[in-house]
Amino acid sequence: MIEYENVLTTCPYCGTGCALHLQVLDQKLVGVLPAKNHVISEGGLCIKGWNVHAFVNHPDRLKKPLIRKNGKLEEATWDEALKLVADKLGEIKAQSGPDSIAFLSSAKCTNEENYLLQKFARAVIGTNNIDHCARL
Amino acid sequence: MTTEPKIIGFLCNWCSYRGADGAGMARLKYPPNIKIIRVPCSGRVSPELVLRTFREGADGVMVLGCHIGDCHYSTGNHRTAKRMPLLKKLLEYTGIDSERLYINWVSAAEGEKFASVIRDFTEKISTLPPFRETMK
Amino acid sequence: MTDRLTSLREAIEAVLPNVDGVLALRIGPGGISASHLFSKEHPEDLAKLALWPKEPVPDTLKIILRAHPDAKLAIVCRGCEERGIVEMFKHAQLNLDNVTLIGLQCEQAEAEFCRCAKPFTVHSKTTVGQSIKGVPDPVTEKIAAMSQPERLAFWKQEFEHCIKCYGCRTICPQCFCNVCTLEDEKWVETGRLPMANPSMYHLIRAMHMTAKCVACRECEETCPADIPLAVQFRLMARDVKELFNYEAGAVMDQKPPQLLVLEEGDYERSGLPH
Repeated sequence: MIEYENVLTTCPYCGTGCALHLQVLDQKLVGVLPAKNHVISEGGLCIKGWNVHAFVNHPDRLKKPLIRKNGKLEEATWDEALKLVADKLGEIKAQSGPDSIAFLSSAKCTNEENYLLQKFARAVIGTNNIDHCARL
Repeated sequence: MTTEPKIIGFLCNWCSYRGADGAGMARLKYPPNIKIIRVPCSGRVSPELVLRTFREGADGVMVLGCHIGDCHYSTGNHRTAKRMPLLKKLLEYTGIDSERLYINWVSAAEGEKFASVIRDFTEKISTLPPFRETMK
Repeated sequence: MTDRLTSLREAIEAVLPNVDGVLALRIGPGGISASHLFSKEHPEDLAKLALWPKEPVPDTLKIILRAHPDAKLAIVCRGCEERGIVEMFKHAQLNLDNVTLIGLQCEQAEAEFCRCAKPFTVHSKTTVGQSIKGVPDPVTEKIAAMSQPERLAFWKQEFEHCIKCYGCRTICPQCFCNVCTLEDEKWVETGRLPMANPSMYHLIRAMHMTAKCVACRECEETCPADIPLAVQFRLMARDVKELFNYEAGAVMDQKPPQLLVLEEGDYERSGLPH
């Protein structure tokens, strides 16, 4: 039994919102095809969009948080990692003020997650230093 | 207009390079504009190589090989005979003067022919503007 | 007379019981179509069968056949896609023994959109629709009629728009090399836009497409910069026809010129000295 499917999705890389089809063969991602009659990308993609399938199952992809201990990165739990980040951010804010901290958000997140991060930056930390990696 | 053109000549080790040797041995004069690169066979000279030579600033490229039927590797120069005329056409379609690429057959015994081929080609390239300038 | 969609559905229904799957187009979410593998387990999918816009199905066929070499498949192909499959077969990319071709003839409007000289299939035993004559290609003619400086200026301007997405290379059914020359820094400069003139990327690709391009125009359609890429390939195809009497995908058992040892006559036509 051969299972082949084209899954329509939106490119995760930037804010343009190009549509693309992920080619799924036997439950594995094998490639990308542009969506021809989509109103935004009209069948075109940039080099990032064309290679979107490559990062999903890449061996170098981080699946667990890593914390540097004694000069070496070691796997940690999420609780541990979040506590460390919270402690350090609080420490820096207390020492040097909120504007010594900046936030850089990602295009691979959803709008809602990005909204949350800017809310966190402005309301919790108290800084306007927030930017985005996909300001095209 | 007189300019000193830069010409790169890809010469087959078994025929044309020996032909160039013969020209030197016979004390035949030819213009010093040509820089000779010895290749194992004229079939070794891929279109990529010719294009890169142009990109690096050569005003003319020569590919000289054995006569058809005399190839040391029996059909190596058939590759040259197949693709170089097409590369000339491609240059023409892209708006580059196809005269800048020159293909001929020179055997080990044809020192005289070698010198005259170089003379004619250098003369022709001298009348053209420098390649780099046409690409600006 | 039944329309093409109905006849195509009937043709697919006829072969469906005998094969593992039929590769054709299906309308998906939002009316956006994509290639789909119709199977006898899900005949209800056929209600969403689509005809246009065409997709690079030869490439999808290759992907499936690589993973399932013994699969019996059928594929709905237009003239260009059929030529693409034949060329892939000639270059040992897929095995045609277990593949059934269902030819879909293009309509006048589709042929004019593609400026296609051969909008009909020739190898398929089953065909759907009325085959029509090829249409002229005004864009290629316009560029061919330009003077040399005009052509240089034209291509310089077009190639300057290139964003190096490698889309034309990736979507091309004839670009199947495991190691691509265009990814080699020796030949194509990295990290620079617009590319330096002469554009190594486009010239090398045009050279590699010689005697392989099946004029499907997928590259032009996917190009985000709207570069008329197919023009160079079509002009080169005329020369290949003249020099080697070879047309990509036209004759099943004719050897492509890349594999030829030249005969006396071929060599004389090349215009090289004797």
